[in-house]
Amino acid sequence: MQVNPYYVTNLVGSLDTVQGKIQSLTSELSSGERVTKLSDDPLAVGENVLLLDKINQDDAFTQSSSIVQGQLQVSDSALGSVVTQLTSAIQLATSANNGTMNSSDVKSISSELEGIRDEVLSLANTSYLGQYVFAGGQSSTQPFTLDSTTSPATVTYNGDTDINDLETPNGQSIQLNVAGSDIFTASGSDNVFTALNNLIADYSSGTVDTSTAVADTASLNTALNWVSQQRVTIDNSLTQLTSATDAVTNDQLQMTTVQTNLMQADVADVSTQMSLAETQQSALESVIAALESSSTNLFNKLS
Amino acid sequence: MGTINAALSLISQALDADQAGLNVISNNVANASTTGYTEEKSAFKENSSINIDGVQYGTGATQVGPVSQRDKVLEQRLNQQQQLASASSSRLTALETLQSTFSTSTSTSSSTSAGSIGTDLTDFFDSFSSLEASPTSNSLRQEVLTSAKTLSGDVSSAALSLESQKSELDQQAASVTTQVNALTTDLAKVNQEIQSQSSDSDAGTLEDQRQEYLSELSKLIGINQVTTEDNGISVTTTDGQLLVSGGNSVTLTMGTVSGVTHFFLGSNDVTDDLTSGGGELGGLLTVRDQDIPSATASLDQLAYSVSTQVNTLNNAGTDLNGNTSDAGNIFNEPTEVSGSSLAMSVVMTDPNSIAAASSSEGTGDSSNAEAMAALASSTIVDGATPENYYSNFVTSLGSTVSSVESENTAEEASVTQLQSQVDSISGVNLNDEASALTVLERSYEAASQVFSILNEMMASAINLGEETTVS
Repeated sequence: MQVNPYYVTNLVGSLDTVQGKIQSLTSELSSGERVTKLSDDPLAVGENVLLLDKINQDDAFTQSSSIVQGQLQVSDSALGSVVTQLTSAIQLATSANNGTMNSSDVKSISSELEGIRDEVLSLANTSYLGQYVFAGGQSSTQPFTLDSTTSPATVTYNGDTDINDLETPNGQSIQLNVAGSDIFTASGSDNVFTALNNLIADYSSGTVDTSTAVADTASLNTALNWVSQQRVTIDNSLTQLTSATDAVTNDQLQMTTVQTNLMQADVADVSTQMSLAETQQSALESVIAALESSSTNLFNKLS
Repeated sequence: MGTINAALSLISQALDADQAGLNVISNNVANASTTGYTEEKSAFKENSSINIDGVQYGTGATQVGPVSQRDKVLEQRLNQQQQLASASSSRLTALETLQSTFSTSTSTSSSTSAGSIGTDLTDFFDSFSSLEASPTSNSLRQEVLTSAKTLSGDVSSAALSLESQKSELDQQAASVTTQVNALTTDLAKVNQEIQSQSSDSDAGTLEDQRQEYLSELSKLIGINQVTTEDNGISVTTTDGQLLVSGGNSVTLTMGTVSGVTHFFLGSNDVTDDLTSGGGELGGLLTVRDQDIPSATASLDQLAYSVSTQVNTLNNAGTDLNGNTSDAGNIFNEPTEVSGSSLAMSVVMTDPNSIAAASSSEGTGDSSNAEAMAALASSTIVDGATPENYYSNFVTSLGSTVSSVESENTAEEASVTQLQSQVDSISGVNLNDEASALTVLERSYEAASQVFSILNEMMASAINLGEETTVS
C-alpha cells in the first residue's frame, strides 16, 4: 500500500480554502448584502433588475402626479369660479328681464355683465406653469380671444379638442384636461360667451326686448349647467389620481420588501456558517501542528 | 573449483553493489524536496553462474538500475486534468473581471446609481412618462436628454470596458505563447538526449526533466502525447497539430486577424484548436473569442433597438420648434447592430426638438411622449422588453460564471487527488528510504564480515599451516 509522503501539502490546501470561505462570509456580514457579484445568485440579480425597474417607475409616477394634481386643481377651481360668475350673471339677467327696472339700471346691468364676461374670459384663459389649460393641444396659444368691434362682441376659440392622458404604472389612463370648446359650448349650440355677449347687447340700449332676453338667459342657463357637468370630469380625474398614487405607494412598499428579502444577507444563517468554518479552520490548524511536531520519520527514530 | 580468490572477488563485488545501493538511497534523500524528482529504487540482479566440470559456480550480483518509480499513464492522466483545471481557472479569473462591469445590478438602491444600465433604462423611459404630465415643460424635456446621456454613457463605457479587457487578454495570450515556445524548445532537446541513449527503458533523471516540461506545458496549453520509438515522445495540440517531434519543435507564431491576435503553427491558423484545447491559453482565448463577444453582442442589440426605436418615434411627431415628422434624432442613429453599443451617444442638444406631440396635433399634445414611454413595455429588443432583455443578460452572464466556478472547483479537486496518487508512487518516502538504508547497512556489514573471514583463510592458505609468515 503506498502513501503520499506530501499529504501535509493537501491539508494546507484545504486550510486555504476554509480561510477563503471565512473571508467571503465576513464581507457578507459586514456589508449586509447576500449578493455582491452576478455569480453569487444569477436569478436573484435578474429579479433585482426587474424589481428596481418597477420601484423606480412607481417613484417617477409619484413625482409627476404632483405636477398633474396642481394642474387639475387649478382647472377645477377656475371652473368653480366660472360657475359662480355665471350664476350671478343669470341672477342679474333675470332681474333685468322682470321689467321692473328703469333704463339706467338696465344699462348698468349690461356693464356688470360685461365685467362678468371679462372675468369668465380670463378664467377660460387660465394657465398653469405657462401653458393654457383649456386650449386642448394648442396650449401655447391663448384659447379665447375677444373681438369687441362687432355687436354683439364675439369670442373666438383658437384651441383644438385634443385630450392628454397620464398613464399610471398599472396601465390606467387619467384624463388631464378638457378642451375649451367642449366646456364653454353645450352640446348643441349654447355657448357661454355667445349668451353673455348677446345679453350684454340686449341690455346695452337700456330697453329690454323681453322675448330675446329671456331666450338668451335660458341659453346661458343651459351653458352654465353644461360647465358644471364638465367640471365633474376634472373632479373624477383628481379622484383617480389620488387612488392611483395610493396604489402606487403601496406597490412600491411591497416591491421594496420583496427586494430586501431577496438581496439582503440572512445574518443568522451567515453567522452559523461562519462559526462552522472557523471550527474547521482551528481543527485543521491543530492537525497540521500535531503532524509537524511529532517526529513521524523513521530516520529520527533510528538515530 | 571455487577458489578463495574467486570468493574474495565475489564479496568485493557485493560490497560495490551495496555501496551503489547506498548511493541511490542518498540520492533519493538529497532530492526528497526536488520538484519532479521520482524516487529511484536500486535492483540487484544475480550474475549468470559458470559451469566448470558439471558444477555450477555463482558469480555474485550486480546492481541493475536505478529504476525510477513512475507510472507514465497516471502522469499523463494528471497532465490532462491539469489542462482542464488551468483552462477553467484562467477563464474564471477573466469572467470575474467581465461580470464586475455589470455588478451595479446587484445594488438594491433605487436612487440613480451611476453605471447601472438597468436603472438607466428605467429612468430614460420614465422621463417620457413624466413628460406626459406637462409636455411643454423645459425642465422635463431637459430631464429626457439628461437621462438619455446617462444611459448612452453607461452603455458605451461598458462596451469600452469589454473591448479593453479583450486586448488585455490578447496580451496575456501572447506572453503565454512565449512561455510555450521556450518549453517546446527545451522539450525537444531533452527528447533528443533521451533518444540518443536509444533504449526503451526509463531514462531516469532525463525522464524526470521531460515529464516536468510536459507538466508545465499542460498547464499552458492543451496537448496530446504519443510515445514513439526509442523512448521518444511526440507532442501535438489537442486537435493533432504537431508541436514537438523527436529533436524538433515547431514555434507557435502570432499574427493579427480582424484586429485580434491569432496563433499559427507553420501556416496553419490553430486559434480555434487552442481555444477548445484547454490550458491557460485555452481559457483566455475562450473568454476573448466567445464570452466577451457574446456580451458585446447583447449590449449592441440593446443599444441598437433602443436608439432606432426612439429615433423613429421622435421623427414621427411634432416638436416645440414646429417641426413635424422631422424633429431629429435623439440618439446617434446606428447603421448596423454590431458596434452600436460602443457608438451610442446623444446627438440632440435642443430640448425643444423632443417631439412629445403627435404629428397631427398641437404642441401641447403628449401622445407621442406616451408612445415613447410605452416602448419600455414593448418587446423591441429581440422579442423582449428592454428591461427584461437586460435582466436576462445579467442572469445568463452570472450563470455562466457560476458554472465555470463549479467546474473549476471539481477539476482542482481532481487534480489534487491525482497529484496525491502520483506522489504516493513517485514521491520520496523517507520511511522507505530509512528501512532500505538499514537493510543495505546490514548487508554491507555481513559482506565485510565475510571478507575478513576470507582474508584470514587466505592468510592460513598462504602460510600453509605455518603461523609465522603472514597473519
